[in-house]
Amino acid sequence: MTDTMNAEVKSEHEIGNGMSKKEAKRIRMQNMSREERGYVRRKAVMEKVWPFFRFVILFGLGFVIMYPLIYMISCAFRERSDMTDPTVMWIPRHLTLDVLKETLDAMDFWNTLKTTLFLNIGCSLVQVLSCAVTGYGFARFKFKGKSLLFLVVIMMILVPPQIIALPLYSQFRHFGIGDLAVNLIDNSLTMYLPALTGNGIRSGLMILIFRQFFKGLPKELEDAAYIDGCGPFRTFVQVMIPNAASSFLTVFLFSVVWYWNDYYVSSTFFTNTKTVALMLQNLDTELKLRLFDSATVELSPREQIVWKEAGCLLSITPLLVMYVCLQKYFTEGIERSGLVG
Amino acid sequence: MSEKTEKAKKPKRAFLSYERRKGLYGYGFIGLWMIGTLIFFLIPLIKSLIWSFNDVSIDTGITHLEWAGLKKYSYALTVDENYMDYLSKTLMETLWKTPLILIFSLFIAVILNQKFRGRVLSRAIFFLPVIIATGPVFKIINGDMGSTGNTGAAQFSTMFSTDLVGELLQFLGIYGLSENMNTLITTVADNVFGIVWSSGIQILLFLAALQNIPPSAKEAAQMEGATAWEYFWKITFPYVSPFILANLIFTVIDSFTSPTNEVMKRILAMRDDWKFGEYSAMAWIYFGIVLVAIGIITAIVNKFIYYEVD
Repeated sequence: MTDTMNAEVKSEHEIGNGMSKKEAKRIRMQNMSREERGYVRRKAVMEKVWPFFRFVILFGLGFVIMYPLIYMISCAFRERSDMTDPTVMWIPRHLTLDVLKETLDAMDFWNTLKTTLFLNIGCSLVQVLSCAVTGYGFARFKFKGKSLLFLVVIMMILVPPQIIALPLYSQFRHFGIGDLAVNLIDNSLTMYLPALTGNGIRSGLMILIFRQFFKGLPKELEDAAYIDGCGPFRTFVQVMIPNAASSFLTVFLFSVVWYWNDYYVSSTFFTNTKTVALMLQNLDTELKLRLFDSATVELSPREQIVWKEAGCLLSITPLLVMYVCLQKYFTEGIERSGLVG
Repeated sequence: MSEKTEKAKKPKRAFLSYERRKGLYGYGFIGLWMIGTLIFFLIPLIKSLIWSFNDVSIDTGITHLEWAGLKKYSYALTVDENYMDYLSKTLMETLWKTPLILIFSLFIAVILNQKFRGRVLSRAIFFLPVIIATGPVFKIINGDMGSTGNTGAAQFSTMFSTDLVGELLQFLGIYGLSENMNTLITTVADNVFGIVWSSGIQILLFLAALQNIPPSAKEAAQMEGATAWEYFWKITFPYVSPFILANLIFTVIDSFTSPTNEVMKRILAMRDDWKFGEYSAMAWIYFGIVLVAIGIITAIVNKFIYYEVD
């Protein structure tokens, strides 16, 4: 193998640069052994055929993913009689915006959106900060009981939220000690307090991500700061955070998505506060009340779909807009964000 | 919080070695988290464990506990007619779905890592489940598709008005397939939807791993004339192997909060009936089994994983 390769290099060298590419390639082919020629040929064939297969695979599976979205859009803009019309599959016969308007109304969409955005962005911000601080502590300092505490982080990732939801509820119901206890249910503090202390939704995962990320940064950065007389906290704020900016953004975006999509936690703690996810859950009853003045009216499940799909469309649109605008940070940023390695 | 600890330490500074002092700063960094974890994680966790051994009744803020031993567990395992059924079904589903999701997402990640036109668009589409599949929208997507008869392979068969898998097998001339094999293929085809939709973040992770393969390794393989197949098994696979475990855990914890999880639905129904003891016991049985399974798999997988640095 090495011999032939040497030969190849030599012959090319002897030929010099005066030859056309085709000629050079022919001579190179002649110098190869039979196996090598076979390899090159197989590779050439694969390179021709594979893109076709790749396209088929990606297109088919991409369709599976896009299907619900296309279906959503198709349903949201049709009248409900179209649902029972067997001749309507994708393109509605009666285009209308009424369904969308009714759903907007029933979800009280703009107010809900405002509450949700404030809650999500606020929680995500404090959570990212608290998790970054914790992750940094785990990445760079040696202290007693560190491995045990890290085990707790792993436990936070593994324990399903349902296990602790109920005791947590009773805790929030009477939060504090003795007579000072206050009822925090339906207060957005039930979201902010855990987020602030690094215990929000999926924060175990975020601590892990930050730990990996900070471990990957060169130690010299901090050593230089220490020598210049910078304390650990100032070093963290002035040296580490600027270096972690893109990682912060990625984690922040994921955090917003997780808060947006959450309904287990928020349905446990919120009774009157309206978030988009909760409104979507209750859309059925709300709609019946508004449109037909009674919660018990019988609607065929097929006809309900138009409103449900319109609700879905409304509640993922903000996420989709964010995803399209910041797609780079979702897909490319993750390599730098410490999820790796 | 962190500032406070810093101030408190200052007078002591002269007595502590540099190492010790740095250690204390470490506590300063994780202090806030430690308090939060104690209140919002560890105490509720222990409480729920205690509840699972007790008769629980709650009135106006005072939780009455009455020791009940293993009664709640035996209730969950023997008396409740739905729980065992759902539990075995869900566990079986996790068992066969997880490897499929892993294989599928690795396959897609390898494809999305190649250079071709429209790569950005295809990546955008394949990561779309990441932002949707954890929420209630996915629940409705799943449910609605069910009620209109448009789910999984059925969705395709209504579209092409045939049983696609059966047709394909006949086309390939496969008739004498055993019954088991046939059901296996059909279930897999039926669940294409679920598998594709639950592998968003796994694809993302594998792709990140693939991009970490040093170009020199690829060059070396090309020089030696490795086929794509050899390249996959000798270069790609070892490099992504540490992520298999991470993805496995991801897949399992995602299944906890998946809207199609029957066990969790049953557990939540218990909560709505105010049967808190049973609720906790059921949750702990489920979690315990999964935890043990993850532990065993981690132990096995760790033996075969190739870590570049260590």
